[in-house]
Amino acid sequence: MAAGKLYAKEDRRKMLGETVDIPFLILVLLLLTVGLIMLYSASSAQSMYDTLYTSSVKYLQKQAACAGIGLACMWLFSRIPAAFWLRIAWPLYGVSIALLLLVLVAGESVNGARRWINIAGLQFQPSEIAKFTMIVLFAKLTKGFGTDARKFRYGVLGFGGALLGILIPLALEKHLSAIMLMGAVAVVIMFVAGTHPKWLLAGAGAAVVFVIVYVSFMGYAGDRITAWLHPESDPSDKGYQILQSLYAIGSGGLFGLGFGKSRQKYLYLPFQYNDYIFAIVCEELGLIGAALIIALFGALIFRGFWIALRASDRFSTVLAAGLIALIAVQTILNLCVVTNLLPSTGIAMPFFSYGGTALAVNLGEMGILLSISRQRNKTKNQEVTT
Amino acid sequence: MAKRETKREYVRIRADSGQHRRIIAIMVILGFAVFIPIVLQLYQLMITDYSYYANLALRNQTRTTTVTAHRGTIYDRNMNILAISHTVENVYLDPHELKQSKADLNLVAQNLSDILGVDKEKILRLSKDLTKRYQQVAANIDEETAALVRSFINENQISGVHLEPSSKRSYPYGTLASQVLGFTNASNTGAEGIEAAYNAYLEGTAGKVITTKGNNEMDMPYSYEKYVAAIPGCSVVLTLDATVQACLEKQMRSAIARYDVQNGAFGMVMEVKTGKILAMATLGGYDPNNYLEIADPTTAQELEQLRLAYLAQPEGSEAREKGKAAYEEALSAARLKQWRNRVLSDGYEPGSTFKVLTMASALDCGAIDLKTGFHCNGAEKIPGRSQLLHCWRSTGHGSETTAQALQNSCNLAFAHIALKLGGERFYDYISRFGIMEKTGIDLAGESKGVFFPKELITNTDKWGTASLTSGSFGQTFKLTPLQLVRAVAAVVNGGNLMEPYIVEEVLSAEGKTVLLQEPTVIRQVISEQTSKTMCELLKSVVDVGTAKNAAVAGFSIGGKTGTSEKIDVLDENGQPTLDKIVSFIGVAPMENPQYIVLVALDTPSRATGMYISGGQMAAPTVGAVMADILPYLGVTKDQVEQK
Repeated sequence: MAAGKLYAKEDRRKMLGETVDIPFLILVLLLLTVGLIMLYSASSAQSMYDTLYTSSVKYLQKQAACAGIGLACMWLFSRIPAAFWLRIAWPLYGVSIALLLLVLVAGESVNGARRWINIAGLQFQPSEIAKFTMIVLFAKLTKGFGTDARKFRYGVLGFGGALLGILIPLALEKHLSAIMLMGAVAVVIMFVAGTHPKWLLAGAGAAVVFVIVYVSFMGYAGDRITAWLHPESDPSDKGYQILQSLYAIGSGGLFGLGFGKSRQKYLYLPFQYNDYIFAIVCEELGLIGAALIIALFGALIFRGFWIALRASDRFSTVLAAGLIALIAVQTILNLCVVTNLLPSTGIAMPFFSYGGTALAVNLGEMGILLSISRQRNKTKNQEVTT
Repeated sequence: MAKRETKREYVRIRADSGQHRRIIAIMVILGFAVFIPIVLQLYQLMITDYSYYANLALRNQTRTTTVTAHRGTIYDRNMNILAISHTVENVYLDPHELKQSKADLNLVAQNLSDILGVDKEKILRLSKDLTKRYQQVAANIDEETAALVRSFINENQISGVHLEPSSKRSYPYGTLASQVLGFTNASNTGAEGIEAAYNAYLEGTAGKVITTKGNNEMDMPYSYEKYVAAIPGCSVVLTLDATVQACLEKQMRSAIARYDVQNGAFGMVMEVKTGKILAMATLGGYDPNNYLEIADPTTAQELEQLRLAYLAQPEGSEAREKGKAAYEEALSAARLKQWRNRVLSDGYEPGSTFKVLTMASALDCGAIDLKTGFHCNGAEKIPGRSQLLHCWRSTGHGSETTAQALQNSCNLAFAHIALKLGGERFYDYISRFGIMEKTGIDLAGESKGVFFPKELITNTDKWGTASLTSGSFGQTFKLTPLQLVRAVAAVVNGGNLMEPYIVEEVLSAEGKTVLLQEPTVIRQVISEQTSKTMCELLKSVVDVGTAKNAAVAGFSIGGKTGTSEKIDVLDENGQPTLDKIVSFIGVAPMENPQYIVLVALDTPSRATGMYISGGQMAAPTVGAVMADILPYLGVTKDQVEQK
């Protein structure tokens, strides 16, 4: 709301440009719709079980409510000029770190890890905000560094310092999946900004070493790796999750069992309605359906980067590229885990997995991309007038 | 102004084409390239390995429930039911389900307690134990009670109380022929007797139901089901006749009471020409409906005393442990004893009944004839025997013909018959009578007794004649009652040794004959002529000899008594107890022998004051059996009297 009053009405229209990018909007709405439908199918059995056979929509209701909030955020953010985020980048960063630290003391523990915070009855993960904040800050830094990004001092120390500010509280939370995700997105932005690839490669090497050390410090690395490489060696315990996922995917075949007809969702596949929802998608819709959904994501990612390319300023370009990279990396990591290309980490599938904060934040981020997409018309007009 | 500034910005970005190139590279990588391995992996999982994963998934999602096959019925030869399986039901609770459905546990416990007669507190306790998902409240309840439970569940919409079908074997005649029938154990498998020997036919083939089932017993709306029907077991029709069996057991039971028999009795009835068993009894038996319970009241009381004695010891003490072990050992011994079919499992000394075989052998090979004379003066030095041989009658029998030797059951005469026969021929005949082999009856647990080693009988130069002569009158070796009955049947039926059998026919559930047993002649042992002569001699034993007590007015009965001392049973001083087994083997009707009956009473009490002998005790028992069964079996008095 505050953002709305920063500019006079006419100025805002000028700064916003004409209309949002319609293909991108359609792709987002399409993925959201398919995602909600599949969430209903995947979660219905669990919902029946949880509610003693009285309701099949327990999860859908919550998710749909959050989708509503998310769409409102999307609409709002699509009307806020990107420059607003440039201004509040540092305060936002500060608030995020504060929230991440707060969660360490006052967070709610779920499965032994403190990642949730409860504000006025609303539960959310500060790490979801932190991901966004980091991208905004990195875009601002990229704009500020300019061609200096090639220099070690800016391209490595500058970005690295900002990144550590968020990664350290996350490491204390033992939130490995968020660290991986942010690390990957940070590398993408730094690469775009112009940080020399040798530093990025060195950084990636360091990250691999860090992950190995970190995971073994957490104590269950061996189990996870074994469950990943040989899930059938412990089918009832450590390999259970991934085996059940592979059963679901494999039994889908080319055309799938049909919408709503998954068998694995009947409590065989744990997390069938969040992290592993794609396995149920494969089981019900088959390879054809799964490939179509992947194609939708591919199109969204292409269009997102296209928006970044057509943005009128460096900050908007990097912000758009970072946000769409975040969606892309989440999707890719999730699909790799579900299909057992990577060991289990705990990354949700955007627009599909159950999780209110993530869905609302993702839709909000799509709103920012839509806002940036308005600049395309402006720049085109500019081009003509030049 | 604004226009100019945005234009400058735009131009500057355009100039930084390196950044654009890098974004395009990232776009291709994140929007396309990385999805290639994912799609390839999906292709591998969903197309290449489709059947592998689909099969594993199916196995993962299905439950196989075994459906027990209905166990076949055991009939006697008149199709009376001796053993039958009923469908019953078990009632069990699922405490989790009760809790989830917020059922009123008090209501459930009260009603189940009323219907099933189970303690209410016990049901409450079971229903609250959340560590289990299966808590049996009652087992083997009948259909009526099950219907009451069902209507309670339906009326009150209880979820968490379940019924499951089960099977219960029942034996309508109770203790009748218990060792022959055997019983089924807790897993519904035959454990003794016919139930064990014909288990493969009776038990049928279990079926199965394969259903889809969600995890945590969640129902799947579109579950599919595959049903493999159980094949019900075959029924078995015995040659046994429940009426004959009942007569035999009744007379044996009254003999046990009359003569105060200490150690039970055994007996059987067989068709002499076919080898069909009509009755086979070992008393005291047990009730196969409660096969674990000790049926004999005296033994049960002794066991109870042992149990109380060890329970009186302090908990954890060595004496208690020892007492407990002793009790359990005694209990299991008592069970094995009451389950044992002595007719075919245990050897005994046949005593004088065996003389039938010796005489038949000697007559058949011409070692003696009916005119051969013997002399008995009570005791005699037999060549080849170190000790003086005493006849059972110390005053002696005087001069005897062959027939009189048998009528008097004279041991001295039989010693001479054996000497005339010689070891080689005696051993040869006895083995041809089947004494060294199992009879091959279709029942489990048959043994074959202990006869002399051949050398001991045949090589009299080296070993003397003690074994040969003792053997000739049935002492110092053991055979099973069934072996003796079969051999004597061969003596009277024209000389044919038969293979005894007890199952006439096996019928499939649809009533088709699966197995039909026919009489089997193993070999001819003696000539038809010898057999005829033996029939006359055996008849004379009843008419004028030691077995007068077996006579039944109007029927021509033949037979031979036997009284044997149990030389291998020692008292506490290590002396033989001289406990006796008295027996009688009888045949009727003698003109055309059809039925053979053996009754043996183990250890009649000396306290009754009666003279303990087969003639005094076993012969009248067999006579009473004959009097009961011959009219029933269609042997008419008139037919006999006309002759």
